Amino acid sequence: MAWQIQCTASAPLISPPPSLKPKCLPPHALVFTLPVARSSRFRSTHTPSPRPVAASLSTVESPTSAGGLDDSSKTPLLEVKGLTAVIAETKQEILKGVNLVIHQGEIHAIMGKNGSGKSTFSKVLVGHPDYEVTGGSVVFKGENLLDMEPEERSLAGLFMSFQAPVEIPGVSNIDFLNMAYNARRKKLGEPELGPLEFYAYIYPKLDLVNMKTDFLNRNVNEGFSGGERKRNEILQLAVLGADLAILDEIDSGLDVDALRDVAKAVNGLLTPKNSVLMITHYRRLLEVIKPTCIHIMEDGRIIKTGDSSLAEVLEEKGYIAISAA
Amino acid sequence: MAALAFTHQNLLQFTPKLTPSKPKLKSKRTKTRLSIQTLTASPQASFTDQFVLQLADSLEDSLPSSSSPLPLQKLRDDSSEALLSTQWPSRKDESFRFTDTSFIRNSNIKPISHPPESLSFLDDSGDTQFKSLNFIDGFLVDSSFDSSNLPDGVYVGSLSKLSSEGILKRVSGFLGDFEWGDLFWSVNGLGAPDLMVIYVPEGCRVENPIYLKYISVEGGNEGSKKVPLSNPRVFVLVEKGGEIGIVEEFVGKEGSECYWTNSVLEVVVGEGGKVKHSYLQKQSLSAAHIKWTSVRQESTSTYELVEVSTGGKLSRHNVHVQQLGSDTATELTTFHLCVGDQTQDLHSRIVLDHPRGYTQQLHKCIVAHSSGQAVFDGNVKVNRFAQQTDAGQLTRSLLLEPRATVNIKPNLQIIADDVKCSHGAAISDLEDSQLFYFQARGIDLETARKALVFSFGAEVIDRLPYSFVQKQVKDHVKELLQSPR
Ligand SMILES: Nc1ncnc2c1ncn2[C@@H]1O[C@H](COP(=O)(O)OP(=O)(O)OP(=O)(O)O)[C@@H](O)[C@H]1O
Ligand SMILES: [Mg+2]
Repeated sequence: MAWQIQCTASAPLISPPPSLKPKCLPPHALVFTLPVARSSRFRSTHTPSPRPVAASLSTVESPTSAGGLDDSSKTPLLEVKGLTAVIAETKQEILKGVNLVIHQGEIHAIMGKNGSGKSTFSKVLVGHPDYEVTGGSVVFKGENLLDMEPEERSLAGLFMSFQAPVEIPGVSNIDFLNMAYNARRKKLGEPELGPLEFYAYIYPKLDLVNMKTDFLNRNVNEGFSGGERKRNEILQLAVLGADLAILDEIDSGLDVDALRDVAKAVNGLLTPKNSVLMITHYRRLLEVIKPTCIHIMEDGRIIKTGDSSLAEVLEEKGYIAISAA
Repeated sequence: MAALAFTHQNLLQFTPKLTPSKPKLKSKRTKTRLSIQTLTASPQASFTDQFVLQLADSLEDSLPSSSSPLPLQKLRDDSSEALLSTQWPSRKDESFRFTDTSFIRNSNIKPISHPPESLSFLDDSGDTQFKSLNFIDGFLVDSSFDSSNLPDGVYVGSLSKLSSEGILKRVSGFLGDFEWGDLFWSVNGLGAPDLMVIYVPEGCRVENPIYLKYISVEGGNEGSKKVPLSNPRVFVLVEKGGEIGIVEEFVGKEGSECYWTNSVLEVVVGEGGKVKHSYLQKQSLSAAHIKWTSVRQESTSTYELVEVSTGGKLSRHNVHVQQLGSDTATELTTFHLCVGDQTQDLHSRIVLDHPRGYTQQLHKCIVAHSSGQAVFDGNVKVNRFAQQTDAGQLTRSLLLEPRATVNIKPNLQIIADDVKCSHGAAISDLEDSQLFYFQARGIDLETARKALVFSFGAEVIDRLPYSFVQKQVKDHVKELLQSPR
């Protein structure tokens, strides 16, 4: 990995020589919107340090590159090649050959017009039953993702925050999180946590997304406002951890404060090894969670990839400028 | 003034079709078929049924030879007479159209004539927070009950031990006075060895609920056709402004499989009085369980029933609530679960005859077995003088297996014209989008299904008024849903 995560205001420990900079390297290292004093609580530094529980739960077993500086030492996390998919019921093709590689520690963003297939792409990755994959391949951490059941994908370290999370009446948020967390512990051969132990574990995480405790006792997403649902998705990410977090429009419908909370939480969960794929329509999210690359999706394909300057072009000139290019 | 404003009377039958299994989530999906049929009432014939006569004979033989208190004697005489002209119900009778009672009829019914000799097994029933009053095979065994901490004037115990003339007189005035009874009502009236009385005097609030535990000890096994019959009967009278909570729990002693419990509870709630009734039916899955709950409510009184029924091969609950005055509130909240080859049947009738009545009914059922069946016939009758009534009825069913069946007849009859009513009936399978949400967080499909199924019933269980009862019922339902069948 060519860039460096840094959680203090001091200079990066290792600066990559300019000649080895990957094409879409961000102009500066990861953003630190977190107050310096707090950040170290959530983020592991480059030097080996105890990883937060959430991260230790996600099973990262791929070999660590020794902070290598050249391209070949990057470890691919997700490799999508020529992915095509149809709507299961109507067989209408939505994804028409998506190619995308995400390496460990990278932050990618997908932008694109309404209906271009962004949500479909992320749902296909997590195995949503509304869609059928008709071609191409997806390798996640060296394994064929398409062979796995949705819950196996989650346990393998893939997380998607839904653009529109469903309500689950009758199931309390804390029970749901407890079940999900225990599923992970079971996979790791660790003893499951009872309700009390789990409460102790989750309580500090509420702060992270600025959520009140009574949300834990409410039914999953039932009657939640748009912003509360998004916070709830991030809370789940914080509790479960992920090697790759796909955030589908985590910023839409959020007020300024909520956006800051959510971005802070996401940044706080980043480690040198885990990655984020954001789907967004707005530059303001990309300013608080700085992407390594930006991809533009159109009609079920990624038609352009570039650095964060793409977002500026978009904002000023619209998608016309990109499609025409 | 009052005109026939709205009648809603139809019948819905749902049976999911067996769909060719598709992989993953879809395989669990079941399609529902809906048919709406009009009702045809069959004329009630009234000649003697030899089988019923024989049963009446054997009931009489089973009764204790000692003389019984007068009200009980009268009840037996009336019931005996009624049985002379009552047929064993057949599928041709409207109220048994979907409930096949032939399984009882084809058994060798043995009315139980005395409680078991040893009650040592009762020791391990000390798990409930409140001391329960136990009915063993229909006989009240009140030795374990300590009535010293009941408020003054409250009586809880056998009619035969009742010394107060005043209470006896009040009870006699109401006992068995009920025109809606059926064969099973009369079988209990004739066969009940005793009557348990719960009496709450005027203005008295009883803090702790009275916990009645009905335990069936004698039982045949699947092979033998022998079915021991018990007929427990309880009468509750709450005078003006009195309040009490009653918990009824029906269980079979471990190892006791085939038996028939035929139980009756009568409740009279005086003006402004309040009764909270919790009813838990946890019988063996080979048992027959038939129960009547008859409630008379005077003005401004409140009756709230929360029921959870999970046991029995055949289980039927008949609830009849009559509002006898204005501003009266009735709430029925019920949950039926079929995890095996079972029929769970609720027949309820709420009759409103007075202004400003309030009634809310929620019935939920889950059929989790391909030969399981749930039956619901819920009649709410808002009569001519019941103006400004607020009546609601909602039923939701969850069918989890192909061929699992529900027969529901939500039935809101409104004759008054100034009323607020809502009703609804929904049949569903689990939501795919909800199941996927669990999976997307690493929870396997089976666990997700169980959580969603459980949460469906939890809505009713959460309305049980005592947390220790809630917990006990939740554990029981969870266990039933866990065990594969
Ligand atoms: N389950 C479905 N049934 C029918 N059509 C679908 C389904 N899923 C996706 N589509 C269609 O596929 C196209 C892509 O939808 P998708 O939700 O992936 O777009 P998107 O890029 O996320 O758009 P937005 O920016 O508005 O969120 C749309 O035309 C949509 O209507
Ligand atoms: Mg979308």
